Amino acid sequence: MSNKVMQWIDRRFPLTSFVQHDLSEYPTPRNLSYWWNFGSLAGIVLVLQVLTGIFLAMHYKADVNMSFASIQHIMRDVNYGWLLRYMHSTGASAFFLVIFIHMARTLYYGSYRAPRELLWWTGQGLLLLLMGTAFMGYLLPWGQMSFWGATVITNLFRATPFIGDQVVVWLRGDYTVGDETLTRFFALHYLLPFVIIGGVMIHLIALHMVKSSNPSGIDLADKDNIPFHPYFTIKDLYGLGVFLMVYFGFALFFPNLLIEPANNIPANPMQTPNHIVPEWYFLPFYAILRSVPNMVGGVVAMGLSVILFAFMPLLDRSKIPGGALYRPIFRVQFYLFIIDMLILGYIGYVPPTDQTIVIGQIASIAYFCSFFVVPFISTAEEKWLRKRGLPKQVEALIASEELQKAQKKTGGK
Amino acid sequence: MKKHLLTLALCCVTSLSFANEEVKLEKIQVDTSNPAVKRGVEAFMDSCHSCHTLKYIKYQDLVGLGFDKAKVKEWQGDWTLDAPVMGMMPDDGAMAAFGKLPPELSLMARARDGGNNYLYSYLMAYYTGADGVTGNHVFPASKMPDPLGISSATEPAQRAEIAAKAKDIVSFLNWAADPHELERYKLGTYILGYLFVLTSLLFVMKKRIWARLN
Amino acid sequence: MAHDEALGNVGRRDFLFKVTTVVGGVGVAAATVPFITSMNPSADLLAKATTEVDLVGMEPGHMRTVAWQGKPVFVLRRTEEQIKLAVASKGGLEPMADQQRVKQAEWLVVIGVCTHMGCVPNLEGEGWTCHCHGSQYDYSGRVVRGPAGKNLEVPPYHFSAADKLVIGEA
Repeated sequence: MSNKVMQWIDRRFPLTSFVQHDLSEYPTPRNLSYWWNFGSLAGIVLVLQVLTGIFLAMHYKADVNMSFASIQHIMRDVNYGWLLRYMHSTGASAFFLVIFIHMARTLYYGSYRAPRELLWWTGQGLLLLLMGTAFMGYLLPWGQMSFWGATVITNLFRATPFIGDQVVVWLRGDYTVGDETLTRFFALHYLLPFVIIGGVMIHLIALHMVKSSNPSGIDLADKDNIPFHPYFTIKDLYGLGVFLMVYFGFALFFPNLLIEPANNIPANPMQTPNHIVPEWYFLPFYAILRSVPNMVGGVVAMGLSVILFAFMPLLDRSKIPGGALYRPIFRVQFYLFIIDMLILGYIGYVPPTDQTIVIGQIASIAYFCSFFVVPFISTAEEKWLRKRGLPKQVEALIASEELQKAQKKTGGK
Repeated sequence: MKKHLLTLALCCVTSLSFANEEVKLEKIQVDTSNPAVKRGVEAFMDSCHSCHTLKYIKYQDLVGLGFDKAKVKEWQGDWTLDAPVMGMMPDDGAMAAFGKLPPELSLMARARDGGNNYLYSYLMAYYTGADGVTGNHVFPASKMPDPLGISSATEPAQRAEIAAKAKDIVSFLNWAADPHELERYKLGTYILGYLFVLTSLLFVMKKRIWARLN
Repeated sequence: MAHDEALGNVGRRDFLFKVTTVVGGVGVAAATVPFITSMNPSADLLAKATTEVDLVGMEPGHMRTVAWQGKPVFVLRRTEEQIKLAVASKGGLEPMADQQRVKQAEWLVVIGVCTHMGCVPNLEGEGWTCHCHGSQYDYSGRVVRGPAGKNLEVPPYHFSAADKLVIGEA
């Protein structure tokens, strides 16, 4: 019976071949480490956010006079509303944590290198969409942090040449962040996740074209690939279990850790809180914004700091496989970059003093330098490594890659 | 690499707990049990309700805590059971007396850096200066007169009694800010227990399936 | 690709596999509970479950419509004649004694929602007529003509004082 149904469907829609090609028999490198779990985890978090978000939207009111109270209604009166809301607010942080780890893995192992540039770039697009969605969602509770965060961030667009002020007013639909702003942010906060889902599809199509990278940094021979199911379905599920424990640990035991106290005070357009900070995931970029003494310069620097990641495939000239694994200098650079991000994050959090401004400026310069030096260091490093003699396993990797390329050529003819 | 990412996560978390620490707040263990919360309601009604409103707490919720309706009726006055707990001072009276409106308190335990510790320390920080004027160490600009009388209490027993009362009020305000807190911990324990079992099963399955590769 | 027995190996769905599937399935099923129950009426709506009606000044033959849980409730002070009519008959499609439907013969309290498709009937003729599909109810709120098949529902209520009616469970 089910056979017949499948036949009926397959004649009209390539279900079986799709499942075989892209799920069950999809060839996956057997040497993937647990760092490769974070892509599928990001997908799960996206689903969690969309689900909790839809159910929250059934109770939320996007109106400046009602929105703060409607959150209280959700937290107090709606059945399990507190659970949905804490899952959603914790989920936002979880999303960024997972995505940052996913990106760090890509950078460490050089997964952005040819032929995976488009995969990396679609990922960058998704990051921008995620940032936009998170920022607009943060306005919705209409607390003090929501209001002043949105005020400051929309004001960034004053840096637009010639029509800056008009752009800001256009974004807000009012002269200040107000009812119009809240309503449109809600509309877009509901819409963008579905755009993200579309982007994820494109990201996955690109992935399935070039297949997963792996720690060795080369395309593995067929014998080293294993079917996605059951090996990676079970590995991803196990990883998901561990992730959910951490996630629910935060969502149910420390849900207020990442909610600023000031956001439990209703928005007051007449008074700014003493210390306004963005959510933790924006802190490094915020620190870069604050480090530049000129407004337009700061906005440009901040925008650049996010977009620069996209240039990595062009900046990294090295042909040594395996990313940081077989490249000692690149590895040091990677760790320095992570430390620099942490310093920037800290500087972005604390109220500015003369001292922290200087530290922030140094860290910002280091941030940009760590991108701009990549072309020179990567070529120099490759020369040095080849001169010194590559380790045997790397030589073997390069040889096997060349052999495979040659085979493919002859096979193609 | 693992370690570094862990520190990344940890730093993000710890850096956020970096609160404004100009004043040392006294750290207290909040008693979230029902008797403590109920004592807190009574203390609140004695010492805070004359001025402060609880916008998101209804008289009905006090019945839900286990007070009988006759008792709630005393606090409720002419309001209905599903009305919010309104402070008894009219707005213009408050403006005349303090120059500003007393803040509504239902979220106060989550709306200040330091949370519960802040509330307790604030209530206990009243003192009588050399000039006989009452001040507050934690919030010097406060317009609120010492509600529990700690500034004039000298006997250790009396001070201990006031401290206990302040703790009860914090217990109540903590409940008011997050009435599902205990339910959340309970559910959290179940969920984590369940996930531990499921994840262990998945781990064994993963080991077993991957063993086929060798 | 290392295409070993792993894929075709359906026979090895052993005990562990079954246990894990069941445990996981139970978790997914349980996870739907908060989502589904979040769509039920919230606690503050349930708290508004009673409505008080002041009966002072209501003459015999006078009807008032009050909202209880958002629904219209008819409170009719019946005249001697209406009571006589109601007591005399057993109703139509769902027979029931009038005494079972009132607490005090003078006061009829029924939910004013037609049991057919939920319209609000009008007081006219010898009882109520629903203009949506023509159902008729008598002075006891019993259906005497279809398409409705059931009598108007009697909400829980009690008299808290001689002239004070409380609708809903206290």
